[in-house]
Amino acid sequence: MAEDVKPTRKNLMEIEDRIELSERGHDTLEQKRDGLIMEFMDILDQAQDVRAGLNEDYERAQRTINMARAMEGDVAVRGAAAALKEHPEITTQSKNIMGVVVPQIESSRVKKSLDQRGYGLLGTSARIDEAAEAYEQLLESIILAAEVETAMKKMLEEIETTKRRVNALEFKVLPDLYDNKEYIEQKLEEQEREEIFRLKKIKAKKEEEEKEQEEAEKAAAKEPETVVADD
Amino acid sequence: MSAAGSSNPEYVNARVRARRGALYSDEEYRKLVRMGPAEIARFMEESEYETEINALGARYSGVDLIEYALNRNLAKQFDDILDWADGRLYDLIARYLRKFDAWNVKTVLRGLYSDLDRQAIEDDLIRAGEFDERLVNRLLEAGSIEEAVDLLDRTMFGDALAEAYEDYEDTGVLVPLENAVDRAFYENLLDGLVVDEATQQYREFLRAEIDFRNARNALRLARSGAEIDPSEYYIEGGKLFRAAELSTLAQNADELVSRIRESSYGDDLSAAIDELERADSLIRFERALEAALLEYSDTLGYVFPLSVTPIISYILAKEREVENIRAIARGREAGLDADEIEDELVIL
Repeated sequence: MAEDVKPTRKNLMEIEDRIELSERGHDTLEQKRDGLIMEFMDILDQAQDVRAGLNEDYERAQRTINMARAMEGDVAVRGAAAALKEHPEITTQSKNIMGVVVPQIESSRVKKSLDQRGYGLLGTSARIDEAAEAYEQLLESIILAAEVETAMKKMLEEIETTKRRVNALEFKVLPDLYDNKEYIEQKLEEQEREEIFRLKKIKAKKEEEEKEQEEAEKAAAKEPETVVADD
Repeated sequence: MSAAGSSNPEYVNARVRARRGALYSDEEYRKLVRMGPAEIARFMEESEYETEINALGARYSGVDLIEYALNRNLAKQFDDILDWADGRLYDLIARYLRKFDAWNVKTVLRGLYSDLDRQAIEDDLIRAGEFDERLVNRLLEAGSIEEAVDLLDRTMFGDALAEAYEDYEDTGVLVPLENAVDRAFYENLLDGLVVDEATQQYREFLRAEIDFRNARNALRLARSGAEIDPSEYYIEGGKLFRAAELSTLAQNADELVSRIRESSYGDDLSAAIDELERADSLIRFERALEAALLEYSDTLGYVFPLSVTPIISYILAKEREVENIRAIARGREAGLDADEIEDELVIL
């Protein structure tokens, strides 16, 4: 990896910038992860309570419908259910928890009064009322559980993503950047040393040449002058 | 056979006495609560319910087979009684059995309301009332609630349904129509009833049924907290409440309970009222009311042996048998143990 980088001063500066940015990002992501975990723990407690309530409501609803079917007959229970007109509705909105978009589910027409259930009062019994009421309660619990558990799953996914990013920065990106930085620094130092050595060599060579030239000049000056005779 | 001709209580009572002997005994109930649904169906096949179990066995299974067989047998038994009865006796029996006509009308209306197919509606009918096959078939073929209401024009439900239809159109819910049907049935129970020594007790029984129904509804309204005028659900003919009183009493459940305790039903219902106050359970109170009615109806059978009362007593006992077997089968299917089921049964 480090060998792929050109050991230039420009690259070194770029890598130093990236290291600074990655360290800042790492700290921020670590803080985000810890914050998300704290939020998740709160939601987890809530989800556990909601789930326990949901199980209880389900048991109760099953028991009341079984009793109503046993005592009033399946036909009577189905008949009372068929009289229902206003079916429950849900609308979903979203809210933001530390950057995670989680659903907020609003339900309407789930809990109904005796006159809104559609069946006549004179020909039915309290068992059917109780079964209807238990199922309305169960439906409310299901809607609440859907909201809380979806929020929990989304938070968990976000925690996982953030954790992966923190780990990637901590164990991959930053070590690679440090390796690259070290590699470039070493290379640059080496280049510097080579340069110095080279300059020293050139200097020595130059000095030698100068010395040789000087000696040659000296030798020339020592030779006797020769007069050339005129014809 | 019809309301015409002279009354024939001797003949009908003789036939009914034989049928009464075929009802399940306590011993048989004790066996049934320990059986699973398939064993119960097998047990029924070896008794009075053989024809129905065999006829429906190919279409249904498990507890559904039991429930449909029970309903069909009940319809056949009551249809036979109406076939045997003549004159005034027929009128007295038909008064009570019209509750199945009310049931069938409500079933058809609910089926049409929720767009069920004809077969699904027909399966849920209990043909034990006075409606003839032709009327029931025409009702099943009705394409809309309006058409069904028109078809019932000449029955005892006609006026009440026509009046409630406007409400239904305004609100879009079945409540006004269902209440109109039930109210027509209850108000017809005592309408024009000639009371003599033999029918005195029958009238008392019908009054008790109306009183108990009013008490149950008032308590349900008081507990639900819904903004409904209780007088809308008041049925005339009882002796325990008046319409105006019920409106006030439904606001205060405690006052309503003490009123029932102080009434002539107080002794019979003291256990039920205690249960209601202690466990705060309307269901247990309702069951105690049913037990009190059944106990009362049982005494009907012995006072005037050659009147309508033993026949009504048998009708109630048969209804209770059907309800008990269904409760056992559904209870076993739901995994209730024998003690829990026995606790829920109303057996004399």
